[in-house]
Amino acid sequence: MSSVASVINSTTGTTLIRIDGLVKQYTRDTQVLTVLDNLSLTVDEGDFVALMGPSGSGKTTLLNLIAGIDRPTSGTILVGDQQVSSMSEAALAKWRSANVGFIFQLYNLVPVLTAFENVELPLLLTNLNRARRRKQAELALSVVGLADRMDHYPRQLSGGQEQRVAIARAIATDPKLLVADEPTGDLDSKNGEEILVLMERLNSEFKKTIVMVTHDPKAASRAHRLVHLDKGVLKEDVHAEKGKAVGMAAAISASST
Amino acid sequence: MKYLPFVFKNLFRKKTRSLLTLGSILLPLFVICVMGTLLKTLSRDPSEGRGMYRLVVRHKVSLTNFIPEAYRERIFQLGGIQEMSIWCWFGGKYVDYSAKNQFARFGVEPEKFLKVFDEARFIEGTAPDWISDRAGAIVGDALAKKYGWKVGQKITLTGDIYPITLDLTIRGIYTAENASALFFNWTYVEEALPRVKGRIGTFYVKAKSAADVERLPKQIDALFENADPPTKTETEKDFQNGFVSMLGNVKFMLTGICTAIVFVILLIAANTMAMAARERVTEIAVLRTLGYQKSTILGMILGESLLLALFGGVAGLAFFVLTFPGFKAWLMNTPMAGFAAGIKLFPSVLAAGFGVAVFVGLVAGVVPAIRSARRSITDGLRQVG
Repeated sequence: MSSVASVINSTTGTTLIRIDGLVKQYTRDTQVLTVLDNLSLTVDEGDFVALMGPSGSGKTTLLNLIAGIDRPTSGTILVGDQQVSSMSEAALAKWRSANVGFIFQLYNLVPVLTAFENVELPLLLTNLNRARRRKQAELALSVVGLADRMDHYPRQLSGGQEQRVAIARAIATDPKLLVADEPTGDLDSKNGEEILVLMERLNSEFKKTIVMVTHDPKAASRAHRLVHLDKGVLKEDVHAEKGKAVGMAAAISASST
Repeated sequence: MKYLPFVFKNLFRKKTRSLLTLGSILLPLFVICVMGTLLKTLSRDPSEGRGMYRLVVRHKVSLTNFIPEAYRERIFQLGGIQEMSIWCWFGGKYVDYSAKNQFARFGVEPEKFLKVFDEARFIEGTAPDWISDRAGAIVGDALAKKYGWKVGQKITLTGDIYPITLDLTIRGIYTAENASALFFNWTYVEEALPRVKGRIGTFYVKAKSAADVERLPKQIDALFENADPPTKTETEKDFQNGFVSMLGNVKFMLTGICTAIVFVILLIAANTMAMAARERVTEIAVLRTLGYQKSTILGMILGESLLLALFGGVAGLAFFVLTFPGFKAWLMNTPMAGFAAGIKLFPSVLAAGFGVAVFVGLVAGVVPAIRSARRSITDGLRQVG
């Protein structure tokens, strides 16, 4: 994944995500529900941010908005030099394929495709020829330690392995930004720990900017920064030093329940 | 094309369901081809245009009534006629009255007949052989093949309308579209039954030009309007269509059945595609999250639906093509043998079957495809399973 590292290294240290006055409202019948209320936030390139907060606090909504799969009611979201909040749907799709990698709680692999084919899915959207796609997918699978399982179907893999394939899929196109929604939420502690180690490695070694939604203090403790949301409002934004993060995340988690 | 392997894998994701759906397309497509072939055979011109200058003159009231042979001279005087021949239905029995031994038997004037029915080509025997033998007959190649008849073989027809037994010698085997009839020299009947002489069933008239075809029916019928009996003159095509209409509105019935079948397979395929798309709501949302455009999703679901219908459709067409010889052979042993001789594998029917498969594939997939493409990503990701 040397190409990944080289691209990211050149941009590390600058602001990647700039959110200003973000409002997201849903209308249910006649009732207007404000999920995010005038939220402003910046994330630097190479940062590892954990979004925490109780259910309904707007974490996943914020993640979706940053990743360009949902639209804000008002406010602006700038990712790199792209005004994500005002792009057309087709342009957003194209932008996502090149710039954002997604990691889901339930892995969301396509069951009829092998690990290799799942990782190749985002690469099909590129102009790479078959040989280059194969090389890139194999590289991504080797980064997550599953080069020997590329012909296995999801049903033949453990939960942890499935999530690692999902991570390989997320990094296959070498995006700057990885967004993860409860990536360890469906895993036991051992597999969860392995996934967190892998994510740390993607952040430190490959300089991926990671925004992760989690309820798990242990997962959050891996992040450099803890953003605590409550009722759609930014309650706390803490840059954590290693070692102290565990306690802070536990405190946020405890206050959320 | 790079998405095709993915579309294929999705197609057989639920193997049992996909195979059942394929079967539910295959069999109706086979039936549509059978019906389409029958329809096509009913509605086509067996002479393939060569009969367009032929007219049939008969009794105005019914084909079973006779007209005087003496009409011939008066008709000829109208001009524009190349040739005309007596054309009389003999009926009778060959071996027995069973369905498998039914075929058309006509008494004609050989020399004149061959000028009127000029698309007939001898593949065995010769025209002079037939013309010179008053007890000679020619048979269509389909009929000869069915009975294994050879030139020189003797066959016996026992009359019923005409109480005589004809001992005929096959002097020729001809080929033409729908070559499934036997023609013999009418003089044989006239000599055996003098009372029949001068009374015939129909005249087949070969006009010289299209203008004559337009003019002659009105003039012939006007000529005998006040005679006893009056005549009815029509083109060969109209004459044949008259037989088809005697079967009732068969074309309408067959078309109706085909339409209903298309509608049913459309519903089955649409149901399969709707289920397939519904099961993949989250998966489709994930694809769109990865950057797949709505148009790509639309194309993939439509492609899957199209492939499903095409697999079923092509299998149905192949099944029809493979079983066609057996189907035709079976029909040749029924009272429909004359009709069956004109049945063949019509490319237009196969093309229509293929068109039905494409139509079903596209229409069945369009609604699930649009709904899948339009569903919001966040709604899709919220679905479980």
